[in-house]
Amino acid sequence: MNLDWLSQYTVTVLILIFTTMGLALLLHLQLGLTGIGNFGIVGFYGVGMYAFGMFLVHGPWPESWGTIWPFLLSLLFATVAAGLAGLLVGWLIVGLDADGVLLGTLGFATIVYGLSQTNRQWTGGAEGMGTTDYPYSLGTQKASTLLWLGILAVVVALILYYVIRVHRSPYGRLLIATGQNEALARSLGKPTFRGKLVMFATSSAVMGLLGALYGVMLHYIRPVELGIGVTLAAIVGLVVGGAARPWGAVIGVLLVGVLFELVFMVWIPFPTDWRKQALPVIRQMLYGSTLILVLMTRPLGILGRMRRDKTVRRPGRG
Amino acid sequence: MAEGTAVPASRPTIRVQGAVKSFDGRVVVDVADLTLGRNPVEGLIGPNGAGKTTLMRMIMHSIKLDRGKITFFGSDGSSEGVVISSKPPHAIARLGVVKTNQVIQDFEQLTIWDSLLLSASQPRDERAYRIYREGRVWSDYGDEIQEYLDYLPFDNPFGFAGSAGEKKLLDIIRCLLLRPKLLLLDEPTAGLPEEMRQRVMELIRKKATEENVSVVIVEHDLNVIWSLSDYVHFMAEGSVVLQGDPGWIREHETVVEKYLGKGHVGR
Repeated sequence: MNLDWLSQYTVTVLILIFTTMGLALLLHLQLGLTGIGNFGIVGFYGVGMYAFGMFLVHGPWPESWGTIWPFLLSLLFATVAAGLAGLLVGWLIVGLDADGVLLGTLGFATIVYGLSQTNRQWTGGAEGMGTTDYPYSLGTQKASTLLWLGILAVVVALILYYVIRVHRSPYGRLLIATGQNEALARSLGKPTFRGKLVMFATSSAVMGLLGALYGVMLHYIRPVELGIGVTLAAIVGLVVGGAARPWGAVIGVLLVGVLFELVFMVWIPFPTDWRKQALPVIRQMLYGSTLILVLMTRPLGILGRMRRDKTVRRPGRG
Repeated sequence: MAEGTAVPASRPTIRVQGAVKSFDGRVVVDVADLTLGRNPVEGLIGPNGAGKTTLMRMIMHSIKLDRGKITFFGSDGSSEGVVISSKPPHAIARLGVVKTNQVIQDFEQLTIWDSLLLSASQPRDERAYRIYREGRVWSDYGDEIQEYLDYLPFDNPFGFAGSAGEKKLLDIIRCLLLRPKLLLLDEPTAGLPEEMRQRVMELIRKKATEENVSVVIVEHDLNVIWSLSDYVHFMAEGSVVLQGDPGWIREHETVVEKYLGKGHVGR
């Protein structure tokens, strides 16, 4: 297969876009439905990425297991580790008001960033650590990366499917009710604290899985991957698309990602010496100003508000 | 009449003992010993600031007690009650002690059907992995909800509750769908059109007499109290000062002096 028309960089950026889309979809469950403004997405993502790396590199794997089993088990471990982090953080924050949630999750992400630079023998410190290549080989690096993009797309599609189903299930109704009027939901016999905690922990676990999958693509994980940019990209994407709608995350992240990461960074022929220093900074500023612009002009995003009056009908009776 | 003191073991009741609540040093509620629910429908009346709503909210544990104990006795006839003053609000609702809201409460993004399905749904319907449960929920609870909607019609039950009256009505149906054993109604008919008011009162009467639900009503419209209740508690300055038949209460000197005033229309 001739893949010359596609640069390796573009494939990498597409992986980044899909990862962000997955994160934004999970944030949609947390923020859009349940009203938990998680500003520490990158923390859970980072726990997953580093847990995967450390477990794979330092785990006592028997030779006879080959490469695929340690790989898959490390992914599982990364997911569980991020889920446990979500459980702990969630237990601390889901009872708080919006400000408390924001600060608590932001603090958590900072802690994870800090931890990733310490414990040199485990994490490689500030220089980072090499993890692994893809657990398969398709000849060229580009083809292998392309397959990884496919795998990631399937994972994100599954998340999207789950989110859409949640909107059409009693569970989604419970999440929305909890987000809108928690005291009223509680008075209707709903254990809202537990419900929020379970949702927060499971969605954080999947954020960790996405971090691990992204870490595989990187081959070499460094603390610099755990900057605020990941959180910002997911939040901006979700808010631009429409935080209350399942397709909001998809549309918003595609739009923002393709525009800022591909068009701006790759396709517009800026002078080469801009690319190293100026462009990444300008891109960060573009994210920030987009968020402000959208919140000022169309706070509900492109898709607008939740329209349950148009979607909720008795099944099978029209 | 002596009927008020006899406790038929089969009615769900709530006993409030030594319950005290003060805000900023001012005692709002101080109830020594009060049992609610011995009769099918009981009224709780008193002047503004008497502590009626606060007491209700203390029972539901949406306000914490400073002191005291609140116990719920289910209709199974056992003398062992459940202390609900140490339970979270959702657990109290699950036990069957349910309250409508005085101030209008709603879920902004949920339609009327949504809201009612939410109320009827059980924890087993609402697990995170039950993503194909919607059909089951509609077939389990849809008909029951439809009955309520036929009796108390809304403009568009697939849309959002618009007027204050619709929201109030929605609140009442949500509570009834929880299958309450003891139902606390805080000004249930305020803001409802006359026809709806009649229907709600009929429905409440029916629940109380036919389905053994103990109903306690707080209401400023005393016509509701006199026509609906079998027994009345009169609260003033944070405590229950008088209890008795509606006929006796409305003629009582203390009630007239502290609340009704001479020549009150509600008499």
